[in-house]
Amino acid sequence: MASFDLGGRVVLVTGASAGIGRATAGVLAGLGATVIANGRDQGRLDATVAALPGGPHVAAPFDLLDIDAIPAWLKGLAADRPLHGIAHCAGVQVSRAVRQFDVAHFDQVMHANLASALALARGLRQAGVHAAECAMVLVASVGAYIGQPSNIVYGASKAGLIAAARGLAMELLRDGIRVNAVAPALVETDMAERTRRTMSEAQFAGLLDRHPMGIGKPEDVAHAIAFLLGDGARWINGITLPVDGGHLAR
Amino acid sequence: MRREDFLRDMDELLELDPGTLTGREALADLASWDSLAVISFIALTDEKLDTVIDGESLAKAATVQNLLDLLGDRLAA
Repeated sequence: MASFDLGGRVVLVTGASAGIGRATAGVLAGLGATVIANGRDQGRLDATVAALPGGPHVAAPFDLLDIDAIPAWLKGLAADRPLHGIAHCAGVQVSRAVRQFDVAHFDQVMHANLASALALARGLRQAGVHAAECAMVLVASVGAYIGQPSNIVYGASKAGLIAAARGLAMELLRDGIRVNAVAPALVETDMAERTRRTMSEAQFAGLLDRHPMGIGKPEDVAHAIAFLLGDGARWINGITLPVDGGHLAR
Repeated sequence: MRREDFLRDMDELLELDPGTLTGREALADLASWDSLAVISFIALTDEKLDTVIDGESLAKAATVQNLLDLLGDRLAA
């Protein structure tokens, strides 16, 4: 279907070395996009790029915690061809009760999850960096909507992304850039597996019980991101789409 | 990391006066050892010792010393 076709589009995928980012790179490439795969580890990025269909795709290692350098980095990336989209999948999840709250923890999570998105938006709106029609998708979380002990700063960072998607959608209208978000529930990723290992079997069973369709696969989220990046979503702007197997419906 | 320093971090985590924990305490006797303390303990070991404690092993711990034993040789005497 033409509205899902991404042929001729150039899309930057952050966090492309693993999990939702890697799956998104795969789905976008499968729909015809040229993928610029970002992460911190050159070797893992090369492996991601090598596995993508079509191409030629590009590995673009860069640490997104270097927030203020992001706009110039994007300008360099787009020097040869403007971007038609960004799928911002990079992020961190660190469980901590508020009794362990400190500024270092706040800065780590907020910079990785929220400030990086804002700097990417700043970079994308620069002249010459984005194509005439462009879209950005942020990866939020159901953690923004539900109260989860020990997930407070993470949830706040993801709620910040949801608010940012709305604000950016309005501010970047004049630049031809749509901005939306997805809000996944628990997805089978290395990050989720790390969390699962820290739980007892009973705790994990309780978590599963809150996912009426089971936990998701990275591709489930990737397909939603691909839709929001493409022409099929040309009249969708500033929304957050839950991709949660009914988690929020319970 | 020294065992004593880790115990002081646990004092802070459990909102106890510095020097309270010795290792001999039963977790059931510590009023502040609750589900959030468990999560906080996992975060503490991740941050300070770069190790992720297995949740099932943690659930079996009965004393502070059992918790320290999970950390093996990452703690120096």
